[in-house]
Amino acid sequence: MACTDLRAGYSGNAVVRELSFELDAAEVLALLGPNGAGKTTTLLTLSGLIPALGGSIRHRGITITRLPPAKISRRGVVLVPDDRALFTTLTVADNLSLARRRGGPSIAEVIGYFPQLEDKRQRVAGLLSGGEQQMLAIGRALMQRPDVLMIDELSLGLAPILVQRILAALRQIVDETGTPVILVEQHVRLALGAADRALVLVHGQVALSAPAAELLAEPDLLERAYLSGADLPARPGTR
Amino acid sequence: MTEYLVFALLGLGSGAVFAALALGLVMTYRSSGVVNFGTGAIALYAAYTYSFLRQGRVLILLPGLPQSVGLGGELGFLPAFALAVLMSALLGAVLYLLVFRQLRSAPPVAKAVASVGLMVMLQALFATRLGTEAISVGAILPRRTLSIGGVRVPADRLWFALVIVLIAVTLSLLMRFTRFGLVTRAAAETEKGAVLTGLSPDRIAVANWALSSAVAGVGGILIAPIVPLVPGSYTLFIVAAMAAALVANFQGLAVVVAVGLVIGMLQSELTFLQARHTWLPQHGLAEMVPLVLILAVLVVRGRPLPQRGALTLRSPGHAPAPRRVATPAAVGLLLGTLALLLTSGVNRSAIISSVILAVIALSLVVVTGYAGQVSLAQLTLAGAGAFLLSRFGYNLGIPFPIAPLLAALGASVIGVVIGLPALRIRGLPVAVVTLALAVGVQALWFANPDFTGGVQGARIRPPSLFGLDLGVGAGSGYPRIAFGLMCLVVLVVVAAGVALLRTSRLGACMLAVRTNERAAAAAGINVARTKLTAFGIAAFIAGLGGSLLAYQQTLASPDVYQALAGFGFFATVYVAGVTSVSGGLLAGVIAAGGISQLLLTRLTSGIGAWWDVITGLLLVTQVIYSPAGIAGGIHRGAERINRRWPARQRPVRQLAQWLPKWSPKWLSKWRRTRTAPAVRADTAPALEVTGVGVRYGGVVAVKNVSLGVPRGFIVGVIGPNGAGKTTLIDALNGFAPCTGSVRFDGRLLDGRKPHQRARLGLARTFQGLELWEDLSVEDNIRVGQVAHGGSRTIRDGQREALERLLTTLTLEPVRHTAARELSQGQRQLVSIARSLASQPELVLLDEPAGGLDSMESQWLAGRLRTIRESGITIIVIDHDMGFMLNVCDEIHVLDLGELIASGTPDQIRRNPRVAEAYLGPAESEHGSEHGAASGAASGAAQ
Repeated sequence: MACTDLRAGYSGNAVVRELSFELDAAEVLALLGPNGAGKTTTLLTLSGLIPALGGSIRHRGITITRLPPAKISRRGVVLVPDDRALFTTLTVADNLSLARRRGGPSIAEVIGYFPQLEDKRQRVAGLLSGGEQQMLAIGRALMQRPDVLMIDELSLGLAPILVQRILAALRQIVDETGTPVILVEQHVRLALGAADRALVLVHGQVALSAPAAELLAEPDLLERAYLSGADLPARPGTR
Repeated sequence: MTEYLVFALLGLGSGAVFAALALGLVMTYRSSGVVNFGTGAIALYAAYTYSFLRQGRVLILLPGLPQSVGLGGELGFLPAFALAVLMSALLGAVLYLLVFRQLRSAPPVAKAVASVGLMVMLQALFATRLGTEAISVGAILPRRTLSIGGVRVPADRLWFALVIVLIAVTLSLLMRFTRFGLVTRAAAETEKGAVLTGLSPDRIAVANWALSSAVAGVGGILIAPIVPLVPGSYTLFIVAAMAAALVANFQGLAVVVAVGLVIGMLQSELTFLQARHTWLPQHGLAEMVPLVLILAVLVVRGRPLPQRGALTLRSPGHAPAPRRVATPAAVGLLLGTLALLLTSGVNRSAIISSVILAVIALSLVVVTGYAGQVSLAQLTLAGAGAFLLSRFGYNLGIPFPIAPLLAALGASVIGVVIGLPALRIRGLPVAVVTLALAVGVQALWFANPDFTGGVQGARIRPPSLFGLDLGVGAGSGYPRIAFGLMCLVVLVVVAAGVALLRTSRLGACMLAVRTNERAAAAAGINVARTKLTAFGIAAFIAGLGGSLLAYQQTLASPDVYQALAGFGFFATVYVAGVTSVSGGLLAGVIAAGGISQLLLTRLTSGIGAWWDVITGLLLVTQVIYSPAGIAGGIHRGAERINRRWPARQRPVRQLAQWLPKWSPKWLSKWRRTRTAPAVRADTAPALEVTGVGVRYGGVVAVKNVSLGVPRGFIVGVIGPNGAGKTTLIDALNGFAPCTGSVRFDGRLLDGRKPHQRARLGLARTFQGLELWEDLSVEDNIRVGQVAHGGSRTIRDGQREALERLLTTLTLEPVRHTAARELSQGQRQLVSIARSLASQPELVLLDEPAGGLDSMESQWLAGRLRTIRESGITIIVIDHDMGFMLNVCDEIHVLDLGELIASGTPDQIRRNPRVAEAYLGPAESEHGSEHGAASGAASGAAQ
């Protein structure tokens, strides 16, 4: 996937400006930054849930910028949103089977990545714990045989140990299927542990772009970007 | 005993068709959020099509083509039935694709209005194409009489009920066990989830609409042999069907069918009892059943309709504020008088009708346009005014100006009663309740000769004031100018009143409630009282109009105030523009019986019959493309012209603009003396939070948070996403129930509602801003000022305060711009200004720097410090660490619902637990060395 000069926001107000990046196969890209930086907005725009204000998004050579979100999903760009958007009145098995795609994995294969769900197939999704719901949400996305998987705020409301477990499963999925993943995260160190590369967004623009290993080795780079927020030069032409 | 049973069982027939329609209603609602008022019309279409097919003809509804086309031979039952059901399914699918697909993101009210328009159009289409005589259909279900335990019951009713129950069972199985059912249930719960799973909500909706129309069609065909097939008959089935759907909360299919059948049986039973016991009212008991049921259930349960998680929402139509009232009123009076003088006979009569209808239309402007409550009962309320006038004026002999005023007051009492369910329910069901009321009242009261004194209607004594005859006259003098002038004067007064209402505080409250109830409550508006006042005022105006109508006809006649006519009237006003006074006036002009209809009938013969069809069609197209109606288009044009030549400002405004140019010290001194009386010790904390906890179901969002906020400080609350910060503010503000206690200025806040806390001096902003998008910046702030009551002495102070706010937050240049057109930074400022407008002691800011870049957030920090200097305590939540460390005096850190650190910005910056909460725990393998390295690094960086 390639994203060029993306401008994104709500009701004409841009929250993300001039965002450009490329995603290669079997790569985990962490999208980091303080909240309000535009990370979730970026994912929502990539998945078509909010219309882009400018720039273009290309996937497998086709421009998908203005397509309706259901179509983008069917093309293989699948988002797991921060509220998970599960069908809480349906069972785990139903949630997964609704997402089944031709040529995609079977329910058994997907549950294989998250064995905790194995004996909960007939449980109604609304009754699962937070961690299990997150696993189900990712599993549902996997059933759609994604070409690009985007996960928003995986760690929201989950204990770190659970997050680590899910991230390990994610790494396994990426290695086995070659699907690239964009991970939006607030918990930086957890994300960097699972990622290959990271982009740091601050106030809607890319402040840092580096391999994850480098950022792990030099943590003050990140902390400065997060905790001061005044590192950027003033934008020209403000109101 | 057996007779009771017989009648109850007889009622199964109509009960079954109610159940069928209700099933259709539930399906269309769950798949598209539309309460389809046209379901009865679809059932009627199926019945007509079937009847024609049996005769070997295909019914064509499109105007211009022949009524039907011969097939060459009659069709047997099964093919005709199947084909008719198929065609109604097709109709449903087409309706969705043409109309409701475009309205996906429209607010529920708009969708309901569109379906009302469809209903009006289809009904009128049937009436014009098929005439009003009944078409009989041969028996379908076996008609013989069964004998069950000594009770003789016609079998067809039982079979009908059985068929519907079977259909309901099949549908339930479908929903539970097939992929289609699964997909439908999924999309009904969350559109976002469906879309992200690659499902298309549109395709699902089309299938559901087709299925629902097929079910309605089956019901319509099977009831045809039992009930005479006349266009009007099926429409009223919808009221009972809606009652059933509402009782079942638009969810459980089994409940829906059961309630539908029960309503049918109850209605039949009551009809029997009516005849048996003559002390009961002889009319309308049956029609009251849906209303009573709805009211009972709503009052007992009082939960809002399940909200469909739609993706986005469009805002309702723009309601412009009239700039001048006196001049247009005088001009209107003059023009109207001229019109009356220059015309006579039929023409003058049409003008008078338009005037009177405009009055009633203005009542709809108040309740629906301003307050956002869809009321289908305004015509009925007018009828109540008319019939009360008869009682007061004719029976009791009360003289002229008092009798109609009393009648209007009586109508407003009924209006407030209708409004009571609106407190518990929001949006759509209000429309259903008003419809049920319209039908019930019309049957029980207007059509009941015992209550009205005559089958023709109730008699009216002609009005006269101080010996001057104001009556409408008869014969060659009809209609008399004096009467026309009286109507005109009433219209001008009402129109001026409604215009003044728009610019008044109450009007601003109504608009705020219409646009965003939550924000309105947080700003201190008593939402319940505002809604009831709107209903009351609207009913009063409608009652006045009804009295005028009665005077015009010298009779209060039940035919005029029919519930069905109410639909058409609603459609007309909506098309003209329900959000403005000019819309109301225009509605009078284009309403049936008014000027336009007369003109058009002269120009093109036979248009009269098509009036409703056109109105219905116009309504539907207009809801899709331009919610503000014709008047809205005119207003937009006028605004464009106004912008080129800015209006001259009134002297008072100019004076107010000079105030901020005076020395700032004077201003802050003024503020400080107001907010700091000598008695209070400055060291007492403004806010004391002790052990506050919030639980949502099994999830603990906030756990045992205690903190103190010193007066005049800027205190920050930070923490990663999901830490519970907004939940904490919701608890402090009254939007979320919590354990523990909150003391504000020593006063315990527990149990108080948000608007009460606002009145005590606690204001807040919302993370999503929740501005009143349609209102200008100035109006948004003014509504914020409303919380402090309406004492006239404070009013001038408030105007100055408004100017000060606009200047401090540099919103002066955009004061007249609608909120939705501003940039994000400006919207943030409006949100803050609004919260400050009520001159609070403490303000809670939820992410005020959201969407601002670094320069803007630095600038905002400066603004907040200025605000603090005037004595206001501020609590801020934000993620922007730079901003927070810059502006706050004291910071508290939340993580996973608990307070993990407190201190000055410097202390927080150095606290390793904070870094950990934001950046995540150190990896176990890197462990302590990593933690130490980062701690050392950040220590070195200081």
